[in-house]
Amino acid sequence: MAGPFVLPGGSNLAVAATLVLLPLILPSPTLATEILIFAMAALACNLLLGYGGLLSFGQGMFFGAGAYLAAIAMIHAKVGLLVALLTALCSGALIAALVGALAIRRTGIYFVMLTLAFNQTAYFIAYTLDGWTGGDNGLLDVPRPPLALFGHIFSDLGSPTAYYVFVAVVFLIIFMASGRIIASPFGSTLIAIRENEARADAVGYNTRHFKIVAFAISGAITSLSGALYAMLLNFAPLENIQMSESILIMTVIGGAGSLLGSLLGAGSWVIISDILADIWPRWQILMGGALILVVLFLRGGIWGGIESLLKRCLNKKER
Amino acid sequence: MNRRKFLESGLALTSLMFAPPLLRRGFAAEPVTFYGLKSMSGAFASYGEFAEKGSQLAIGDYKDLLGAKPRYVTIDTEGNPGRAVRKVQEAIQQSNARFFGGCTLSSTALAVGKEVNKAGGIFMTPAGADEITTTEFNPSTFRWTVPTYGAIHQTVRPLFESNPKAKRWYTITPQYVFGEALLAAAKGLFKQLGIEHVGNSYHSTQEQEYSGYLTNAMAAQPDVLLILGFGGNGANCLRQAANFGLKSKMTILLAWTQGLDWFQSLGPDLLEDVYIGAQYWHQVNTPLNNELVKRVREVYKISPNYPLAGDYIITKIILDAIAKAGTTDGRAVAKVMEGMSYEGPTGTETIRAEDHQVIKDYYLLRGKAKSAMKDPDDLATIISSGKSFPDPIKRS
Repeated sequence: MAGPFVLPGGSNLAVAATLVLLPLILPSPTLATEILIFAMAALACNLLLGYGGLLSFGQGMFFGAGAYLAAIAMIHAKVGLLVALLTALCSGALIAALVGALAIRRTGIYFVMLTLAFNQTAYFIAYTLDGWTGGDNGLLDVPRPPLALFGHIFSDLGSPTAYYVFVAVVFLIIFMASGRIIASPFGSTLIAIRENEARADAVGYNTRHFKIVAFAISGAITSLSGALYAMLLNFAPLENIQMSESILIMTVIGGAGSLLGSLLGAGSWVIISDILADIWPRWQILMGGALILVVLFLRGGIWGGIESLLKRCLNKKER
Repeated sequence: MNRRKFLESGLALTSLMFAPPLLRRGFAAEPVTFYGLKSMSGAFASYGEFAEKGSQLAIGDYKDLLGAKPRYVTIDTEGNPGRAVRKVQEAIQQSNARFFGGCTLSSTALAVGKEVNKAGGIFMTPAGADEITTTEFNPSTFRWTVPTYGAIHQTVRPLFESNPKAKRWYTITPQYVFGEALLAAAKGLFKQLGIEHVGNSYHSTQEQEYSGYLTNAMAAQPDVLLILGFGGNGANCLRQAANFGLKSKMTILLAWTQGLDWFQSLGPDLLEDVYIGAQYWHQVNTPLNNELVKRVREVYKISPNYPLAGDYIITKIILDAIAKAGTTDGRAVAKVMEGMSYEGPTGTETIRAEDHQVIKDYYLLRGKAKSAMKDPDDLATIISSGKSFPDPIKRS
């Protein structure tokens, strides 16, 4: 039986090359930045769905929390870029660990419904605390501080290209770290839980703890992407909390169970929706159709399709 | 003349023949591009469709602007503030976009206004948030819509003055920034007019079921029920109030509505004798509105509604200001717009220089009985109209 297709030079190299090419191919670095931010959120969702088998509708809550908390830290506590991102990362992990600890007490549809309920609760909390979040109007004037360490400014991140480079570096670090997590014994156990939780439990693993840690890691990365998004827009809209559905769609389209698929999913979702929106106002019907087709005929998502195509080509060559 | 000289002279003459058109092309004016921010897809697509018609009509009627026909580009805001802001950033960075109009959602309008201001452009919006011309004012953003203060003063006051015995009022308010602003204005005016505020019920903007709030309202036995929700909130609340039989027990007023398309969706049976506040009504007898109604019926075979008229006039104001300024420099165009008076759909309208708020009429309408309607769009009678605006916030 053929094993999974391995990219020459590894997926890290492929991602690095994509990050270099992305702003050159796309019409603007701002669009490229948005793709990477959404790809980061999809990657975090993939850790839960693709590797842990946990379908969470709470990703929007972590995304929104990251955006709000980083923005509030910068506006009210006047913290710098790195501290704001660290705030988003840590608070995202904490919120996700709390939500995860409660939600994973149930499995299947009940788990999904709990994550949805937490997400709705978060929406109304943000909506009610309008003194902090701006409520329905969103949080305006979110700064994008310069990249500085110990008083030394490396870049003011004012230009779209400079900000893209910064986000690309963060994305690469997150991608590589996620790859390490998946390849570690923790990642293998997570996959084992996805495949057969009862067996993993019987072998002696505390599956609940593993799931909570997976939730915390996913929440931290999603919050980080939310913070980067707020800095891109200089604005944190309330609608961020309703992003769960979009993040899940990007994950499924790209390929659940493939980190590279997250980048493909986010990229194709953002680019295709941009193109279609210019052509036909009812473009969301086509996106819905595309999702149905992927789920029915391309179970591994876009990356799964590419993978099987490449494998077939290689097999032909060998023959 | 040798062969070489002959060929050289011929080439020079040929070049001269082609010179005028080439020169003309070289110095031809770059067309001014106007960017329409419309929610063409997503939850507010029906609004965006009419708004788009308004902007297209205004652009189409403009044959020459600074030496060329103006161009129009639609940016689909998708009813999503984040996506809208990113698309505006892109248009500014990639296409040097400077002139923007539209936005259905207040959150989108507030954030887009900030981006356009950073680029030194012009942005005019019909969005509802009062913050646009108050706490979040910036030199690039202009607002056509009457604020919540004016909407309350031009509906509650004339209704009360027509029936001063109706002293007990009950309010049903959506609990968010806009609803709170309407309620605060209503409470202020109640105090001024000696109206007794017998109660208020808050509901979320996602509310569908209003029976609890309506039961509370009935228990308070008010003379007037003031509904402060708009769009789907206002429509659902009114439908259920009619089912509860409240129309015969008390006067119902909706202070802020979307206009004709909203009226059409409810129908005359429901709207009969209900009082409604509106930013625009197609039956207003003003020179520009009469012309607009004629043009819209010719081109689109419909009567203009609020989104169409709003985005039409916004587009026209910006194009007129560019023509008057004689430049596409945003700051120079803003200078022209500040204090500008023009013929608008509601009559003579003026842009207040201090806060970029358009000073225009707001209308109190009353729903007509089906038997009294002259055509399918003749759904209401204009009871009163007028201008009420809070003083602009003083800025240092």
